Amino acid sequence: MTQNLKAALLATGLMMTPVAGVADTADGAALNAMNWDQVVDLAKGGEVNWFLWGGSDNINQYVTEFVGGILKDKYDITLNRVGLSDTVEAVNIVLGEKEAGVLDSGSVDMIWINGENFRTMKQGDLAYCGYTDILPNNALVDWNNPAIANDFGVPVEGCEVPWSKSQFAFAYDTARTENPPRSIPELIDWVKANPGKFTYPAPPDFNGSVFVRHVFYHAAGGVENLLGDFDQARFDEVSAKTWAILNNLEPYLWREGKTYPASISAMEQLYANSEVDLTFNYEPAGVGLNIENGVFPPTTQGYGLTDGTIGNTNYTIIPFNSPNKAAALVLQNVLLSGEAQHQKALPTVWGAAPAIEVSRTSDDVQAKFAKIVKHPNVVPAEELAKAALPELQASWISAIEKGWLANVGQ
Amino acid sequence: MTTKETLGIRSFRVLTGAVLITWLILPLVPLAIWSFAKGWFYPDLLPRNWSLRAWEYAMSDTSGVLASLWLTIWISLVATFLSVLVGVPAGRALGMYKFRGKEIVELLILAPTIVPGIAVVLGIHSIFISLGLTNSVEGVILVHLIPTLPYMVLVMSGIFANYDPAFEAQARSLGASPLKTFWYVTLPAIRPGIIVGGLFAFLVSWSQYILTLLIGGGRVETLPLLLFNFATSGRNDITGAIGMIYILPGIIILLLTAKHLSGRSGAVGGFGQI
Repeated sequence: MTQNLKAALLATGLMMTPVAGVADTADGAALNAMNWDQVVDLAKGGEVNWFLWGGSDNINQYVTEFVGGILKDKYDITLNRVGLSDTVEAVNIVLGEKEAGVLDSGSVDMIWINGENFRTMKQGDLAYCGYTDILPNNALVDWNNPAIANDFGVPVEGCEVPWSKSQFAFAYDTARTENPPRSIPELIDWVKANPGKFTYPAPPDFNGSVFVRHVFYHAAGGVENLLGDFDQARFDEVSAKTWAILNNLEPYLWREGKTYPASISAMEQLYANSEVDLTFNYEPAGVGLNIENGVFPPTTQGYGLTDGTIGNTNYTIIPFNSPNKAAALVLQNVLLSGEAQHQKALPTVWGAAPAIEVSRTSDDVQAKFAKIVKHPNVVPAEELAKAALPELQASWISAIEKGWLANVGQ
Repeated sequence: MTTKETLGIRSFRVLTGAVLITWLILPLVPLAIWSFAKGWFYPDLLPRNWSLRAWEYAMSDTSGVLASLWLTIWISLVATFLSVLVGVPAGRALGMYKFRGKEIVELLILAPTIVPGIAVVLGIHSIFISLGLTNSVEGVILVHLIPTLPYMVLVMSGIFANYDPAFEAQARSLGASPLKTFWYVTLPAIRPGIIVGGLFAFLVSWSQYILTLLIGGGRVETLPLLLFNFATSGRNDITGAIGMIYILPGIIILLLTAKHLSGRSGAVGGFGQI
């Protein structure tokens, strides 16, 4: 009996010791009340597990070597990059942990995210929020820009931090095609004149979905009437026109539209092997990387549409149950820095457009940005920005994706 | 007459061997070429440029491929060992004895091969979380047993169904201890089954993706996880390089155990050393 009691006391004592000694980097509310130096002190010597799409060696090298190097050298933080094939995998881990009651010792410290996945995280209370003001480099972010303050129409409200901007662009092979279609109406005519030479990935593929939205905007006669909350009557009207256009187009698509590529990479392979003549991507810099990596023929040229293309911002988010929030905050601050955003913008590294206002960075960084030589085959972000279209709210997007599956892709 | 027959059988065997090797090797040729290619487009017969870049990346610390290779080998070996440990007695019980509820037990053991993993993985995840088994190599090994055990048990129950326990009784009556009996009588008789079942278990564990991702919480990065990253993003060069590394253990094990898989090694007699 006394033996049991002793053992129990010993066990209780052992359980209590570590709690008293270690500062809690999982407590978001406490971190929000700290100043930046305290956060950095707390983060020192720790680790951060960043889950992001891992399908590009360029991005992997930038993250592990450049960003990871800064974290190690300046802050003694170990960056563990976890490659994903689909971002939803990381969201599902956090979701599963929440359902199982794991509230402060989750396995995910940060996710590269936007759109539908962000909506899931925010609506499910899976995000750590309200910390943006403590990041010193948050001053470089223009939160008054609605394209930054809203992620696919969902207000960010301090629950994530922007990383890069991107805008949809087409690409064609100058050796194969002389005059590619430069607007959605032109594209529709071009597809009919060049049967079998165009296709698009089946929504809900990220890129296929945004292509369908371009047709949707065209059918609506402009995006103005589609902004704001979901409107069933308007959706029914515009979607009927959209499905008619796409179904009319179907016999002229690759393989008579009997099948659609399942992913953007499948379509890029079709393009590379001359099965289709056009390709597109939400990340216009991808054309440059794909040429350098031998995925695309070197005669590939990116271009925008005269009637505009849709742009978006992508972000990094910290899950509510991340045990290493302090280190994740330091990582976010590094990502937002002028130096890291400049490195990411180099066409040999990635070529991604910065999410910060370059004019707010130091003179030194501004001069470095001005010296960047763009990849000649990538359509410049400034040129795309002249005809930029906003994204719809996530509720519209999921309705369009479901509608496409029911009416076009059936 | 007999020599003629042997010759006929032999040439047939050589022919089937050649066809099999062709089937196994041919799909690997483009994979190997891709890993050295920079720009390989239809209808070109060969890549326009050659490059070592994919291999340089695959071998770099950034890619984590080599660390992942050793980890994956370790996980699959331990999962195979545990599968043998559980599968041999389970196979013996199912193969040799009749008992109440045997059909239900068989169905439960087979269930993981019938029910698609994706349907149950979220439920498994929440159970593993509540048991504190997530984000660890141990948890991943344990969860790999779910898909590996059915193969092991199935093979072993087949072996034990044709096994005569009288050999064991004879050995015991001649004074062998239970351990000696197992070592000198039972084990040699069931070894082909252990090798075949173990091979299945290893390869099934080797190719796990979604179970590893969720239970490992991304911390346990096995080769399929790295491979899928690039396979789904259309980087055929890096997929080729990692793919070549990925198939290596499978080929080595196949070569080592080949004679036990061929028709020449029966379930009885002639047990060569591995």
